[in-house]
Amino acid sequence: MKPVSATIYALQIPFTEAFKHSAKERTLCDSVVIRVRNEVGTEGFGEGVPRPYVTGETVDTMVERLARNFWPAVVGRELPALRDETDLDALDALIPQQETPGVLSDNASRAALELALFDCVLHRQQMSSTQILRPRRQRVTYSGVVTAGSLDKALQHARQMKLVGLKHIKVKVGLEDDVARLRAIREILGPQVSLRIDANGAWTLDQAITLLNELASCDIAAVEQPLPRGPVVDLVRLKQATPVPLMVDESLITLADAEALISHQAVDYFNIRVSKCGGLSRSLAIARRAVRAGIRLQVGSQVGETAILSAAGRHLAAALEDLAFVEGSYGSLLLTEDISVEGVRFGHRGEAPLLTGVGLGIRVLEDRLRKYARKVIELH
Amino acid sequence: MSLRSDIETLFTKHVSELTECADFQALESGQASPEDYTRFIENVVRSHLRSPQLLAFLFALAPPDVAGSLQHNMLEELGIEEDSGIAHPSLLKQLAIGAGLTERLPELEVLAAADISQLVVDPLLYGTLKEVGLAAFCEITAFEFMLSRVAGRIARVLAAHHGLGPAPLEWFTYHSEVDIQHAEQGLDNLVSYIRYYEFSEEDALTILEMTLRENVFIKRYFGELSRARPVTEVES
Repeated sequence: MKPVSATIYALQIPFTEAFKHSAKERTLCDSVVIRVRNEVGTEGFGEGVPRPYVTGETVDTMVERLARNFWPAVVGRELPALRDETDLDALDALIPQQETPGVLSDNASRAALELALFDCVLHRQQMSSTQILRPRRQRVTYSGVVTAGSLDKALQHARQMKLVGLKHIKVKVGLEDDVARLRAIREILGPQVSLRIDANGAWTLDQAITLLNELASCDIAAVEQPLPRGPVVDLVRLKQATPVPLMVDESLITLADAEALISHQAVDYFNIRVSKCGGLSRSLAIARRAVRAGIRLQVGSQVGETAILSAAGRHLAAALEDLAFVEGSYGSLLLTEDISVEGVRFGHRGEAPLLTGVGLGIRVLEDRLRKYARKVIELH
Repeated sequence: MSLRSDIETLFTKHVSELTECADFQALESGQASPEDYTRFIENVVRSHLRSPQLLAFLFALAPPDVAGSLQHNMLEELGIEEDSGIAHPSLLKQLAIGAGLTERLPELEVLAAADISQLVVDPLLYGTLKEVGLAAFCEITAFEFMLSRVAGRIARVLAAHHGLGPAPLEWFTYHSEVDIQHAEQGLDNLVSYIRYYEFSEEDALTILEMTLRENVFIKRYFGELSRARPVTEVES
């Protein structure tokens, strides 16, 4: 089976409400979706979400990389058959490793193409992703995220999440009122809900030490990315100075990042996101390495991702052992309209079933992609 | 403020957002394209074609003091409340046919059915039926509230700028400003539901705010217009 054509869709799907954290406010989804087709018309869909402050990618660099480098490297190439998760490495190997000036990593672009090829091969084999990424659980339980808007809005979100029965909630911090905010949210949620915080790298080392020691009384399960991406030794110092477990996100993009963090015993948790980490194959490689080192895992998501990345994240989350937290699958809770026939959003208690249909388990609506595409590029 | 006035404030805000949105203004000023009017009518038909089913769901959950009123609404929607009654879905079909959408009607019926199907298939956000019912009650009452304030205005717009006569516009007439008492009753019913099922005011308002976290009127009536009119650039 050989991919012979592809279509890139640079999307803009409005959110139902703005999503804010210390580094950015978003009002729409800016995913890049790629559809590949083989010689007999079998299709596969993949998605990446460029984040300049994470991998350094933008929509433009992603489209450019996919159209000019990655697609030419795979078009007409024989795709490997898929029997188990190790075969994903062969798909990943088809996509060249290149450096783009000013870009830390092309991982969102890689993820988009890898997922599309994966989905396409599975469709040709009439197999579900669950036959390759063997699930260890029948349901995935998602966390809620309280965004960094006004305090009133944050408390309203907390009340909503409590009513939805979410067991795990993450709060975006890095604001003037972090301590008051966390205390008020903890009061609303009560002691049973597990509470994490995410600073998106907003703090200096000294600020982080002071704030985390103050916030520890709120029973924080983990703090995500307290410091900006930088020297691992800073995380080591922070870990020694605070009782709150540390999780890395922006500091964990490549396997080399993972190795450095592990060798320094710098953190307690890894946040693995399919788009940020370059696809399923590379995400799994980081996860395996983490498990061997005793580091616990969160499968994270990209804010505003569509059903494609949500489906991929669900398959990954279902397949990993020792999974601590999962994020994503907001679907129609965040997007005014998602792009698949099947709704992917989680339900009460944050629970969502496995997606057992062929491929990634969702049927993408091409007319929906065209409806929300700011740019469409046909590749042959 | 009382719970009722909190809800009324929330609904009023959403109605204002609707009438002030660019797409509504374009329809009202006659500056929208003929296709925009057509799509607006399609969206109205799709949004309300299955209303009797939704009312039947609410009727099933209705507290005793609300059941009579909901039964009346449901039978009225079905056109069997009085001898001369006409089913509201028939009025919507009359609207579609009058707007030259006879050939589109089967597809609109399929889409309306699919919308209901999606509601049933999607995982429930809430853990009890009383909460699911409150979210449904809220959305239906919000539409009644909006229509009682805007339906006549929409009918006049479609008559003036899309050439529709009184017969196709009858659905709007049924829901227009003359029906304001009906909408007021809807607000009372919603409050009764909240009290009967012993929601705290905070929980009730939280569910209402979640249900109306985006403007459902704009989403349903203009979703195909304002939210997705991208300048698509196609390259090869």
